[in-house]
Amino acid sequence: MVLDPAHGGTDLGARGTGGIHESDIVLEFAAQVRTALEAQGFQVVQTRQGNANPSFDDRSAMANAQRGSIFVTLHIASTGVPGTARVYVMNDLASAADATGLIPWDRAQAPFVSLSRKLGDQVSALIAQRFKGSPAAAQTASVRQLRTTAAPAIAVEISSVTVEDRAQIDHMAPGIADAIARGAAAFRPTYVVPANPGERP
Amino acid sequence: MTPRWRYWFAGALFLAVVIAAIYLPILRRHIRQAAKLQQRSEEQARRELTQPTVINPSDPRVKAKLYWASGADDGTLSAVSVELPLSNDPVLRAKQVLNTLLAGPVDTELRTVPPDAALLAFYLLPDGTAIADFSEALATSIPSGIESEQLAVDSITKTLEANVPKVRRLKILIHGQEMETLAGHLDLSQAFLVNANAAPGSRAAATPQPTAAGPALTPPAAPVKLAAPAAKP
Repeated sequence: MVLDPAHGGTDLGARGTGGIHESDIVLEFAAQVRTALEAQGFQVVQTRQGNANPSFDDRSAMANAQRGSIFVTLHIASTGVPGTARVYVMNDLASAADATGLIPWDRAQAPFVSLSRKLGDQVSALIAQRFKGSPAAAQTASVRQLRTTAAPAIAVEISSVTVEDRAQIDHMAPGIADAIARGAAAFRPTYVVPANPGERP
Repeated sequence: MTPRWRYWFAGALFLAVVIAAIYLPILRRHIRQAAKLQQRSEEQARRELTQPTVINPSDPRVKAKLYWASGADDGTLSAVSVELPLSNDPVLRAKQVLNTLLAGPVDTELRTVPPDAALLAFYLLPDGTAIADFSEALATSIPSGIESEQLAVDSITKTLEANVPKVRRLKILIHGQEMETLAGHLDLSQAFLVNANAAPGSRAAATPQPTAAGPALTPPAAPVKLAAPAAKP
């Protein structure tokens, strides 16, 4: 499992009042998500542990280099009803044909879109059970981080950074972590891992 | 130095001071005038660039559909019918509806794009690819997040789909530049699908088009094939 706390470094992401930054909060969420995933038997790799800001491609590369990986990127929104969360998967991408059978980098997510949707729906359903008002199915969006990821990949976006009290977001962390871990665990048996990294599923 | 040379030297210095005292205020006035002229030119250029396309009252009035936030705070849009005089020319028509969209709904809470965002240019290629160049405010003033950024783009593409049938896909530029994301999340490197059923145009657009033959704006990069796991990702 490749876990991606979005942003970092000078890229603070969404900013709320009182110095709340998306890049800080997602790092703390990632710690809880990691614990929940490891409890489900996943080996977890994080795209960043501290305040680094790897590029989109570097983050995708971590997933693309791991055989059978699943990719989850964590975000905090500036909008949305506080106390809700949404799961996004990439819009349909036209798969580019390649004579070697390998996947072009800039459309790496294309062969995995339907798998991502399956994973996204499972995690979304669990989030909706825990956080009233959250959609029960994954939504589609042209998320940059997902496009170059050659693995089942979802973005989880929690609302919102504009709350007055940071505790309102922090208290969501255990429920989000549990939903991601259980959703990934439910998805895992259905994922037929390609024989070699970079190959289509 | 002889006393005579001293007198000549002092006289020359005195003359220089008198000339400077007369000339420097004139020079200062010239500099101020030149600065004002430059500022007026810059302001005029900025105003011309961001001048909204004039709605021509002689254009036929149609019920245009504009898409703003539904108000349910769930990332959905609602179509609002607005009667506008719209040109039959697809480029002018697109500018007119987009400028109306940017002007915002009556209820400002339902805005999907920032109030200070402006449409700088709009082009339509013969294959139905539209290029919309927005001011920096679209990227810098929009609330950061997947939901808000996707909502802004959906608002623009759905408005075009409903009112400009010739637009097949939309490429968004920010101040003339291709951007990787809108505000950190939404991918702007690809064109967004607007209307898969749009028929390709048979004539060139009325406004200046990019000179490139095809829709590509930058030289296509060679696809990077995924290598076997490397020592360092």
